[in-house]
Amino acid sequence: MTERADKTIELSVLRYNPETDEKPHHQSFTVPYTRDMSVLQGLQWIKDTVDGSLTFRWSCRMAICGSCGMMINGEPKLACHTLLRDLAPGPVTVEPLAHFPIERDLVVTVDDFVKKIESVTPWLIPKHPKPVSEGPYNQTPAQLEAYENFSACINCMLCYAACPQYGENPKFVGPAAMAILQRYNGDSRDDGSALRIDAVHGEDGVWGCTAVGACSDVCPKAVDPMHAVNQNKMNTALDYFLRFLKKRDAK
Amino acid sequence: MSDRRPYVRPMPRDWWARRPFRHYTIRELSGVTIAIYAAVLLSGLVALLQGPAAWEIWRGWLASPASLVLHAVLLVAMIWHLRTWFQILPKTMPKLVVGGSPVPQRLITLIGTSVAIVCSTALVAFVLWRPF
Ligand code: SF4
Ligand code: FES
Repeated sequence: MTERADKTIELSVLRYNPETDEKPHHQSFTVPYTRDMSVLQGLQWIKDTVDGSLTFRWSCRMAICGSCGMMINGEPKLACHTLLRDLAPGPVTVEPLAHFPIERDLVVTVDDFVKKIESVTPWLIPKHPKPVSEGPYNQTPAQLEAYENFSACINCMLCYAACPQYGENPKFVGPAAMAILQRYNGDSRDDGSALRIDAVHGEDGVWGCTAVGACSDVCPKAVDPMHAVNQNKMNTALDYFLRFLKKRDAK
Repeated sequence: MSDRRPYVRPMPRDWWARRPFRHYTIRELSGVTIAIYAAVLLSGLVALLQGPAAWEIWRGWLASPASLVLHAVLLVAMIWHLRTWFQILPKTMPKLVVGGSPVPQRLITLIGTSVAIVCSTALVAFVLWRPF
């Protein structure tokens, strides 16, 4: 720290220790801070000087890895991307991401989210695979624009914590999975949308979305998952009706 | 050995009444306005079928203070719905890419809202001046 910390702010952190606690409870810490300190640095100060058992995830500290998502004053945010000075005078509540089971303190279970991402076959499936020696699959700037913002997802899960539909029904496929699906479906080099259709269709697919839109508001990367979900509503509707036409064509 | 005991927090029953979801709830509720307007029109049609007496009663009800208040409330809700509906319109349609760059969502909202305002104004003008 180059600057001396002359101000303090109170962080009220949700604590949960599965070995000793029946249920989570809040614990307050008074944290000295400088102008450039993030909420993550505040938590690190607590871990270094007050309570080494405080548990939370982080890695990059630059809004890229998506590990440090948590509820800050009730809103899903990246702790490394949220400055304490903007939250002054406090107190600030810090809780694990909403809608996910709590493992310990600020750490949530990510298994369900990872399964959802896996379920959309998140890789390019070219129609005619070719060896590297034949050169790249070319793409125009307009073709790139069609999916580029969806490719910016950092899997931080903030959108799931903002989605009341996911809170009501954890089976709902949810925003980021649809953004990632659309990243590939929207790519001119990809031909795998048929493989991904199951994730979109069905009871827990896109139609579980009632267009609340909070997912897009909280996304730190402007991915706009709500747009991805709704584009796929349109796609499933088309797919549903075109199926009848296709059958007739086949006869 | 694992001491895992993940704690699942219940979803608050009144999430829809809390920030930031309140805005969404109001938008959805304002959509009910259309059903109420339709019911008012439908009751007018039924009155018309029943004959001149019923029709006059219906017209009388339309001019009553209660009906005027109802219509004022419905109008406000309708305008709110129009405004917020066009705000989410760009997110419900395929991404528009013109000349290699995406059309800004705000522009789509602006165009949609303007078209709706022009059409509504034209309709009101048509009814007021009754060129027939
Ligand atoms: S869509 Fe946005 S909020 Fe959701 S996981 Fe990806 S980066 Fe995070
Ligand atoms: S630590 Fe990587 S996103 Fe915050």
